[in-house]
Amino acid sequence: MKRLMLPHLALLTAACAVAQPSVEAPPPSRAPVPDAALRREAYHRRVDEVLHWRASGAGRPDPATMDMAAIAIKLTLREDLDLCSARVIEMMKDPGTGPFWMFPTVCVAYVGRDLLTPGARAAIRNAWRTTRQLRGDTENHWAMYYTSLYLMAELYPNEPAETWYSGKSSEENLAEARDYLVHWIDLTTSRGQGEYNPTHYIGEYAIPMLFLATWAKDPTMKQRGHMMLDWLFAELAANTLDGVLRGPASRTDEGSVIERWNSLASYFSWLLFGNTPPIGGYGGWGLYFAPLAKNYELPEVIYRIATDRGGDFVQRDRARTRRFWRYSDELSPAVYKTNYLRRDYAVGSTQGIMNDAIQGHAWDVTWAEADPRGKHATMFSLHPMSSERAMQSQFVTYPEPMIKGVTFEGKPSYDSPDKVVGVSYYERVFQDLDTVIALYDLAPGVRFPHINGFFSKDLVNVTEDKSGWIFARGGNAYLAYRPLAPYHWMKYLHRNGGWAKAAEDLGGRLLVSPHLKNGTIVQAASVGEFKDFAAFQAAIRALPLEFKLEPVPIVKMRTLRGKEIAFTYGQAPKVDGKTIDYAKWKLFEGPYLNAEVGGHKLTITHGRLERTLDFNTLTITDRVRAN
Amino acid sequence: MKRFLALSLLCGLSVGPSFAQPATTGPMPVPPTDFATDARRSAYLARANEVLQWYVDSVKPDNPATFQSAQIAAKLARREDAAAVSARIVELMSVPQSQDMFWMFPWTAVSYLGRDQLTPAAKAAIRGQWKTYFPMRGDTENHWAMYYASLYLMSELYPDDPADSWFNGKSSAENRAEAKAYLVHWMDLATTIGQGEFNPTHYIGEYAIPMLYLATWAKDPEMKIRGHMKLDWLLADLAENTLNGVLRGPNARTDDTSVLQRWLALSSYFSWQCFGNTPPPASYGGFGVWFAVAAANYEVPEVIFRLANDRSEDFLQRDLKRSRRKWRYSDELMTPVYKTNYMRRDYAVGSYQGGMTDPIQAHVWDVTWAVPDPRGVHNTMFSVHPYASAQAMQMYFTELPDHMLALLSSQGKPSYDVPDKILGCSPYERVFQDLDTVIALYDIPADDRYPRVNGFFSKDLTDVTPDASGWIFARGGNTYLAYRPLAPYHWEHLLGYKQLPSKVGYKWERIDRGEKGDKLLVSPHGKNGTIVQAASVGEFKDFAAFQAAIRALPLEFKLAPVPTVKMRTLRGKEIAFTYGQAPKVDGKKIDYAKWQLFEGPHLNAAKGSRKLTITQGRLERVLDFNTLTITDRVTP
Amino acid sequence: MRLRSLSLGLLAGAVSLAAAPAPDFIIIANINRNYVIGSKIVTLNGLYQRDAAGAWRHFGSNDTSLSAVAFDPRDHNVIYTAALNGLWRSLDGGQSWRMCNDWSLTEARDVAVDPNAPDTVYLAVTDGVAVSTDRAQTLVRRENGLPGRGKYTQAIEIDRTRAGRVLAGCETGIYLTEDAAQHWRRVFAATDTVNDLQQSPHDPRVWLAATQSAGALISRDGGVTWAAFPGVPAEHALYNITFDPANPQRLAIGSWAHGVLTSEDSGATWVARNAGLPGAHRVWRVGADAAGRLYASVFGETLYVSDDFGRTWQPDALAGSLVNQFLLLPKAAN
Repeated sequence: MKRLMLPHLALLTAACAVAQPSVEAPPPSRAPVPDAALRREAYHRRVDEVLHWRASGAGRPDPATMDMAAIAIKLTLREDLDLCSARVIEMMKDPGTGPFWMFPTVCVAYVGRDLLTPGARAAIRNAWRTTRQLRGDTENHWAMYYTSLYLMAELYPNEPAETWYSGKSSEENLAEARDYLVHWIDLTTSRGQGEYNPTHYIGEYAIPMLFLATWAKDPTMKQRGHMMLDWLFAELAANTLDGVLRGPASRTDEGSVIERWNSLASYFSWLLFGNTPPIGGYGGWGLYFAPLAKNYELPEVIYRIATDRGGDFVQRDRARTRRFWRYSDELSPAVYKTNYLRRDYAVGSTQGIMNDAIQGHAWDVTWAEADPRGKHATMFSLHPMSSERAMQSQFVTYPEPMIKGVTFEGKPSYDSPDKVVGVSYYERVFQDLDTVIALYDLAPGVRFPHINGFFSKDLVNVTEDKSGWIFARGGNAYLAYRPLAPYHWMKYLHRNGGWAKAAEDLGGRLLVSPHLKNGTIVQAASVGEFKDFAAFQAAIRALPLEFKLEPVPIVKMRTLRGKEIAFTYGQAPKVDGKTIDYAKWKLFEGPYLNAEVGGHKLTITHGRLERTLDFNTLTITDRVRAN
Repeated sequence: MKRFLALSLLCGLSVGPSFAQPATTGPMPVPPTDFATDARRSAYLARANEVLQWYVDSVKPDNPATFQSAQIAAKLARREDAAAVSARIVELMSVPQSQDMFWMFPWTAVSYLGRDQLTPAAKAAIRGQWKTYFPMRGDTENHWAMYYASLYLMSELYPDDPADSWFNGKSSAENRAEAKAYLVHWMDLATTIGQGEFNPTHYIGEYAIPMLYLATWAKDPEMKIRGHMKLDWLLADLAENTLNGVLRGPNARTDDTSVLQRWLALSSYFSWQCFGNTPPPASYGGFGVWFAVAAANYEVPEVIFRLANDRSEDFLQRDLKRSRRKWRYSDELMTPVYKTNYMRRDYAVGSYQGGMTDPIQAHVWDVTWAVPDPRGVHNTMFSVHPYASAQAMQMYFTELPDHMLALLSSQGKPSYDVPDKILGCSPYERVFQDLDTVIALYDIPADDRYPRVNGFFSKDLTDVTPDASGWIFARGGNTYLAYRPLAPYHWEHLLGYKQLPSKVGYKWERIDRGEKGDKLLVSPHGKNGTIVQAASVGEFKDFAAFQAAIRALPLEFKLAPVPTVKMRTLRGKEIAFTYGQAPKVDGKKIDYAKWQLFEGPHLNAAKGSRKLTITQGRLERVLDFNTLTITDRVTP
Repeated sequence: MRLRSLSLGLLAGAVSLAAAPAPDFIIIANINRNYVIGSKIVTLNGLYQRDAAGAWRHFGSNDTSLSAVAFDPRDHNVIYTAALNGLWRSLDGGQSWRMCNDWSLTEARDVAVDPNAPDTVYLAVTDGVAVSTDRAQTLVRRENGLPGRGKYTQAIEIDRTRAGRVLAGCETGIYLTEDAAQHWRRVFAATDTVNDLQQSPHDPRVWLAATQSAGALISRDGGVTWAAFPGVPAEHALYNITFDPANPQRLAIGSWAHGVLTSEDSGATWVARNAGLPGAHRVWRVGADAAGRLYASVFGETLYVSDDFGRTWQPDALAGSLVNQFLLLPKAAN
């Protein structure tokens, strides 16, 4: 059960045919704004841009243009209050169901708690009695569902079971919602995010957490909301380059995996960090963050991580897969995530794990672009797995219908041999700094027995070298891609996420290697590190490299950074003779974010600034280190 | 003696724009009930904007005199009329400047608010005055806070300018280092042995505003967080000492107006702005605008907001403070002040132990009561020894003795040397407070200038009843009061002051408001004392029952050789208090040496700790100057 | 999710069927195509009952996520539905509902009420089994004997002859408890999921199972031992299996790959009966009513009915529906 952001967004963007200044303007300056007051003013101007854009596209003469986002925004701006109430009453005659109806309604209920007419407030309240709400089946669904239920139960305390769709009293709803939210926060702060590094779903977490931080009456829940919001944004900051999210993603889509900027994450980068343009319609869900955005102040330490990079850095994190209901020895196995960020490019990966049946993205090398809009600034390979069993492992489905089903549910490319989104049972990945080795050992009979390598339209000087390496340049990054088995080229045809059915030619090619035993090596370097492209190629050619594919793929090589890597499919990788022990990985480990597994405590650091989020004591600590 | 500068600036502004100030003239604010972040934040910003709007609206195009630094700052804060603002700045800077640190901090604010709006010429005009105009540093802690915070920020704004470009002949780096060193020293002092100008009715602005500026504009993250932490500290202290937003208890420095009409103080602007629970004074206290222009950069911590607004439970807070610096005639540079504040829903009782803290403006103790609307109400009861002494003045000021007393009147302090004054502390007063009982004992030498005790009886008291028992009973709001003079007395009308037009200094005449005015209980005896007890109306069946309860309490006292009192309080405590000796409660001596920097249910800090813990319900905020750490905790 | 007959009255087979009042015929139907979380529900989904005129009448909540329904045999106003949210209970015939579980249970697959202990309700969920002994006011997990992993439970069926005797169809096989889920033991091992379990309305010792990769199974000793029907292919998932309550010889299987498979000799031989079913006859469920009419819900199409046990098919009413369960519900005891 996926959610419906993209078509919703498209409709919304069409609805508001007025300018979106930051969407249409040249990319913003990426220079950090050290002056806190000017930074805050700029943040508020961005918030106001969103509010005024949506407000101007809704209301008289056509009240139907007022969806819940527009109502929440007009209430925030104290505009058309009579129309807001009338529209709420109208919309509540036909309530929706599920978390995507619940949280907008809660937003309106709270923003309008002193502004809506008694009739409008009663209409909202009554909808929560009459209309059964589905809880959904993902962590983001539950975050929205339980946050909404929690806040409505606090807004209407002491009301009997028969006045709620759940058949439970306000107190029962409150307790259940609180218990789940505490459980989820506990899990996330001890074993990592489930939907980690999400290109879109960050909104589905950030918005509920902002709601809690703003409105929860129980100070412990208010504090938890605030702390989780900081946590999410710290993670976003550390995983972006120039505001664009990088590296592996638990769940993404075609649009975002090739055009990394094109995601809701970019809206949050724009709003909070001001260093990349927002996507059209401010990402749709962005409209529900904006009305409350001025009640949140991004901690300077997080802003600095996003905008003021001291130098290259490696961040290693732990995360969790989606729940495996069956066909797995573990409910939610560990994901070991690496991200290496440099000024010109970023390299990110997981260890190669089937973390999500449909939308996972395991690794890539992405480069910086002056303007990321429309740029496919990424290189990666994958096995286009389409598996009934994989579907069944995470969904309550029978084997056959699901694959057909998802193509109707916003994932038209799922069962396409040329897809570029998804993870596989048969992929193992190791990354050391800016070298990635991806090995594949596809089972005979697998539905699509080949590997797809993505070669962007925005690469230049793509050179197939007789050494077996394919050299290219993307932005200010030199790239070397080494397929380990024969391949051929085909045009890349793009099937966008959402409901798109047609495949578009956006440019770019797929390197298709139709062999079960397979592998890809990618290395990257900054243009400034070499005299010229030829020097980079020579350096790559000069590196010792041995590999074989039988009985399982094995690579032994020296990287551009002088590391001796030995990696065998199904075995722990070795660097300079030392075996990588994933069991020792921390929850966060790097120059900016640090946390122990099971610690419930994140330390965020930049320069002399430090912020600690300690969920054990529900404590936020800001510290400035003396000179 | 530069404090009159503050008053003159305050008065100057308060008679400035003469049109409606919604919150000042409107109905009493409704006590906050919605503590959600958005509700608190939007109301806070709306209040700040009311101030800015009022100043912006006060500009009359045909009258440049209405377009001064405050109006300029307000327009810049709202990003309005940058060109006109720049032009006006050039004009204003083209003439010699004055007002010292009261000039420095407004123009520092303008410089920062306009850093991305003003024309180069306007910026240069302001910057030029920091070379040519020589502001004095002043002689009080508030002067220095303004002076050094301004100097620090300007030297950060112009970080690499040479010595000859600054009025004091020091380079930007030298000025920054000197300013930082003083500010850190001052914070260190205030967070170890207490505030100097404690519980100020007006001077809170002179501290809160510079601290807000540091928190907002300091580039050095250390100074930024220090400013933020000290601002929290000041506002927590204010929140804890207010009842319905009105500052209570003793003051290091106040004035003849605020000591009677407790609401009429700059502190009420801060309560209004930050806590939303009382109206602001006229012109938002004059200084209010200087907080408002940067207010959006500060968020009042919820724990402090709730501390100011929640009086559901009585609490007793004991703090340690400092006297003003005594340059001579004292064994100690700064003597400790042991401050007590007992806060209840209906009234507050506050005091320090008596003795000299400030030569002119101190207020030692009082019982003040809550009223539905504090504007114009003199909701207080206390007594003082009207002490006037050239030597006391010399103790604090670098002046010669003979002309001091006369000089004061012409400098805006007409009440200093009058026998019926109600402002000031005395070396001959000793005070002890236990909950809502205050005992003030006096041992005034016979040759003292005014060997008498003045007891203040407000025009707003009702049912004032001198009783055969010697007690004087009265009612103020929902509070029953019992006042016991320990020596014979008579009544006088308390005369007010009216300023007269004058080209040379201040001139005044005294005003008798007759029976409708306040009264003074005058007890012309050197060995003397006052006992006051208070209780909520709700605690007794009726006024008579309260009186009976007071009469029934054992009370012994004698005045020679020194005043001594033994009594049982309404709260059942056995108090023994002798002038010059440590008081005893239930046989146990009070040991002031053991007092902490803050001790109470809401504010706690160990002496010397540099660490304040602010607590309200399940919320806790810790300000630790040792590690420059702000910690927010919610207890499960 | 499959035909379930709770009727003690059916023990004697067709004869007593004639004597007993006609049971209610209830289905769970989703008509809202391609519903995903967040989309608008535009049709009535959930519980439907066939009325005397043969029309389908919706009752209860409009819920696209129902997978199974059970009734209190004493009072049919007490209704339990397994759903995405977990377990919903109504005490007033579907007018109002309570979500009985908290966040620790979700995506319920099946629900059953013990006819011999009607306050006891069994819930099959994605990660095990939960039991209530107070009409679902409270639920506790009872999984002793189920594996730590591999207890995805798709089907739960109660032996109507003995209180507390229950079979569960799980990822790793069929599990049996004889003490109301205090202890479970595996009676059949599967590598994939057991999709359906059925107790014969004619002979309570006879049980059927439909599995994902082990074909169709029969037990003649009350579910203790199991054998595969040799005539049923095992290479594709079988979604459900049903008896014909009117004829003990007749069995039917629903399958995406095979469509409708029927046997009219108690499972000795099987025949594909898809003539007249549309397209690739992707059958989601089969069921039979009290008169022996056979129903097939075809994925992406609608509900079909056959008066000749699958030889010919006609579209039924409820166009566009996808049926998750056929339920023959004997009249309540009261």
